[in-house]
Amino acid sequence: MSEKSNKTVQEQLSELSELVAWFQSSDFKLEDAFDKFKQAEALAEEIEKDLTKLKNDIKVVKKKFDTEE
Amino acid sequence: MENNPLQLTVSEFVTLTNQTLEYAYPSVSVVGEVTEFRVSQGKWVSFKLKDAGAVVGCFLVLSQLRMPIEDGMKLLVVANPRLNNKGFFSLNVRAMKPVGEGSIKKGFDLLKAKLEAEGLFAPERKRRLPRVPQHVAVIASTESAGYVDFCKIINERWGGMSVEVAHTQVQGVPAPDQMIRAIRYFNSLEVLPEVLVIVRGGGSAEDLMAFNDEPLARAIAESRIPTLVGVGHEVDTTLADMVADVRAATPTNAAEILVPDRNEIIRASHQKAASLGYQLTQAIDEYSARTKEQLEAAFRRIREKLDENFERLAALRLATAQLNPENVLKRGYALLRGDVTLGATVEIETLHEIATAEVKNVRKK
Repeated sequence: MSEKSNKTVQEQLSELSELVAWFQSSDFKLEDAFDKFKQAEALAEEIEKDLTKLKNDIKVVKKKFDTEE
Repeated sequence: MENNPLQLTVSEFVTLTNQTLEYAYPSVSVVGEVTEFRVSQGKWVSFKLKDAGAVVGCFLVLSQLRMPIEDGMKLLVVANPRLNNKGFFSLNVRAMKPVGEGSIKKGFDLLKAKLEAEGLFAPERKRRLPRVPQHVAVIASTESAGYVDFCKIINERWGGMSVEVAHTQVQGVPAPDQMIRAIRYFNSLEVLPEVLVIVRGGGSAEDLMAFNDEPLARAIAESRIPTLVGVGHEVDTTLADMVADVRAATPTNAAEILVPDRNEIIRASHQKAASLGYQLTQAIDEYSARTKEQLEAAFRRIREKLDENFERLAALRLATAQLNPENVLKRGYALLRGDVTLGATVEIETLHEIATAEVKNVRKK
């Protein structure tokens, strides 16, 4: 997770998709586009940082399955 | 008659025989060809195993039958030899498996046809797996190469998941029951995992036979958790694969199906951001071009207005020039100043001279 926000990677990816969609929508305004582009760049950086450091937590369950309990 | 022979009742003899058998052969494995296979009262299964020289009866309850069998198949049975109270000797079967390629294939085909008829392989039963699961259950032998490959690939591709692993045997007679218990265990958790993965690396047809077990296939089909099964190599097909919601060709492929590749996502995210930069540049270029066009149109209009005004000014200048008295003098006329009365002095201006003259005569025109 990034220090800048508490968003999950999934939320960051959704936000990036929304920004892409905004650029292609009728809401597009040149005045706002530069800020949105900067946001997208920052999100891509955060996604990279977060994804790179994420580790899986793999645990073998203690229960034994060789006999019916 | 021998001296002091052991004298027993029939019941005692049967009991003693069974005790002796139990001591000498607590469990035997016998291989033979099935004949006279029969199911009685929907409950009891009996058949005979034979070879070139002998025949032995086998018995088990229907619920223990883990695969369809029919006459002619070659089976290995694990059984307790018993003499029953009616004097019939039989093998009480605890486990069995087909032996030899032909019988393994026959057993597979029979069970496949049975499960297919029940609709267990139907595409409409298949559930989709979440794109990015957070909580995953895995059934595997943690000592197997297939499991190691699976873990390596999921760790390379993705992170942040909670993965619970049930260590079971994945080949041999106990394997199907162990895997069934693990499936039930994960399905009984208060918080269900989002995906249940079963993996096992490659092996011979006999090694993979545990995955052609009827109760295991049914347990996979009944799982409340969507299932992903990756068993053997690409060419291997098991019934466990076929009933699973998603089939993977190998454990590595199961890992690839389970999670996206973080490097691809990172690359795609940067590409998306870069594409917005390109779109922004394009939008600025379009805006500049539009503004330039508008300015040019404005300048054109101003120039047209100026041209119109210059034309009007020139016309006025021409008209004004024609009214200039000097132009009249140029045409030979003269300008007279003063009172035109008899004896008065007047001034006469031509183009190049000014003369003074006296008025000598005045008459009306």
